[in-house]
Amino acid sequence: MTFSFPRKSLAKIHLSPWSFIEEQFGSGVELIGQCIILFCQTLYYIARAEIDWREVFRQCYMIGVKSFVVVSVTALFVGFAMSLQIARELVLFGADTAIGGVVSLALVREIGPITAGVIVAGRVGSAISAELTTMMITEQIDALKIMRIDPVQFLVVPRYLAGFLMMPILSIYAMFIGLLAGIMIAHSAANVPPATFLDSVKQTILDRDFFVHFLKAVLNATIVIIFSCAIGLHTRGGAEDVGLATTRSIVWTMTVIFIVNYIVTSLTYAPR
Amino acid sequence: MIRRRKPISPERRAEAGELMIEVKNLSKRFDDRPVLDGLSFTVNAGETLGIIGPSGCGKSTILKLISGLIVPDSGEIIVHSKELGLVFQGSALLNSLTVRENMSLALRSKRLGRKEEEKIIADKLKLVGLGDYMYAFPTQLSGGQQKRTGFARAIANDPKVVLYDEPTTGLDPVMSTVIEDYIIEMADELNPASIVVTHQFSTWQRTADRIILLHAGQIQWQGTPEEALVSDNPYMKQFAHATREGPMLIGEI
Repeated sequence: MTFSFPRKSLAKIHLSPWSFIEEQFGSGVELIGQCIILFCQTLYYIARAEIDWREVFRQCYMIGVKSFVVVSVTALFVGFAMSLQIARELVLFGADTAIGGVVSLALVREIGPITAGVIVAGRVGSAISAELTTMMITEQIDALKIMRIDPVQFLVVPRYLAGFLMMPILSIYAMFIGLLAGIMIAHSAANVPPATFLDSVKQTILDRDFFVHFLKAVLNATIVIIFSCAIGLHTRGGAEDVGLATTRSIVWTMTVIFIVNYIVTSLTYAPR
Repeated sequence: MIRRRKPISPERRAEAGELMIEVKNLSKRFDDRPVLDGLSFTVNAGETLGIIGPSGCGKSTILKLISGLIVPDSGEIIVHSKELGLVFQGSALLNSLTVRENMSLALRSKRLGRKEEEKIIADKLKLVGLGDYMYAFPTQLSGGQQKRTGFARAIANDPKVVLYDEPTTGLDPVMSTVIEDYIIEMADELNPASIVVTHQFSTWQRTADRIILLHAGQIQWQGTPEEALVSDNPYMKQFAHATREGPMLIGEI
């Protein structure tokens, strides 16, 4: 049994778990369909080179440059905590020279892309959803359509390209900050000199790791931008719906980032 | 002295020429609620049609259908021009862009040179008294200025069809008069087919050549603004005289 408020956009109160699952599943399938269509439309405009580069650079600043500080702080402390745990265990086994290799493997393969992805999802994805939902509610999107401007070309393509360009940079940057944290912890907690740490990194990291790192970063950019734009462009209602769209965007982008991250890892690193 | 549009004569209507908007048996439902039910009307070039009616009767829906923002469930809409301008109720300016950039979007499809574009934008902004606000952001403008900017953007292309969605709602009486004057001037100078959706008495009285009264998704009355004031039609009488007694509130209170 389900009771719903008169307005469709407001949250429903579900009195049966089945109806809750049914609605969540239905809206999830609908959203994924919207994302696939939006992604195809975005690629279509990119293929036709119908790109407003000025807006792309403005979005690079909004998405990338403005995220550097928060990525720095997050990556630094994730790097500290992870390196401390790894150093503690490896020192027990007398393998302190391997600290650099283990830390860098974790950073390059998982922590770097995930940290950048999650930060951009939280900082940028939510902002995009809120902005586009507000534009829908205040008829700005309708105004664009009246002026024969496709909102996908005008709003989504520059954000997607900016995310595509900036996410790998942020991701690699997060990896280097994490390595820096690792060097500091290895030196202070396990007396491992930076040169030894870096030697271990060189011996452990393969070219393939960087390729997977880049692939994950690009996929994360696609997930964040396309999901948040699709949610923003398909939300109707009022002020409350802006908040709901923002929450929905963060929940979906983070969940999909973790799932896709696992899929890529399992396809590229699973034991054969 | 308050200006009023001269009633359009049958001769002038024929002179003004061709049929610009044709709406035939238009129906639209939202969920299970019928909003428009078999609506038909036409608007000629040079004519201003006022669509009036109580809130929620589907007035704005008609504009969204004519402009192609939503699709009808049944019926036919023929607009004999691609040049269409819509003045939104809330101005709908893009907040991240300046007034100039907002105006420029309307001219994008024409692919004009920068100087030519600049001149058109300056002229249109001057027309609405906002010549000094070209590089201001919408958030730096008052409600009336935003409305006027939305108006300037809608007419930037010199459209042959102009749709006004509640152009004076939420404005003070003085600013309402200013906007109404712009609508009258626009109609006189550019001769477009215009539809003004409103429930403001002065707006439909001053700007429209002909009005249709909507209620329950159907046209309940049509005629000139002068005829509306003396009409015996119970719907029109109630609306024109703003009384509680009449068929419009039945079942709603």
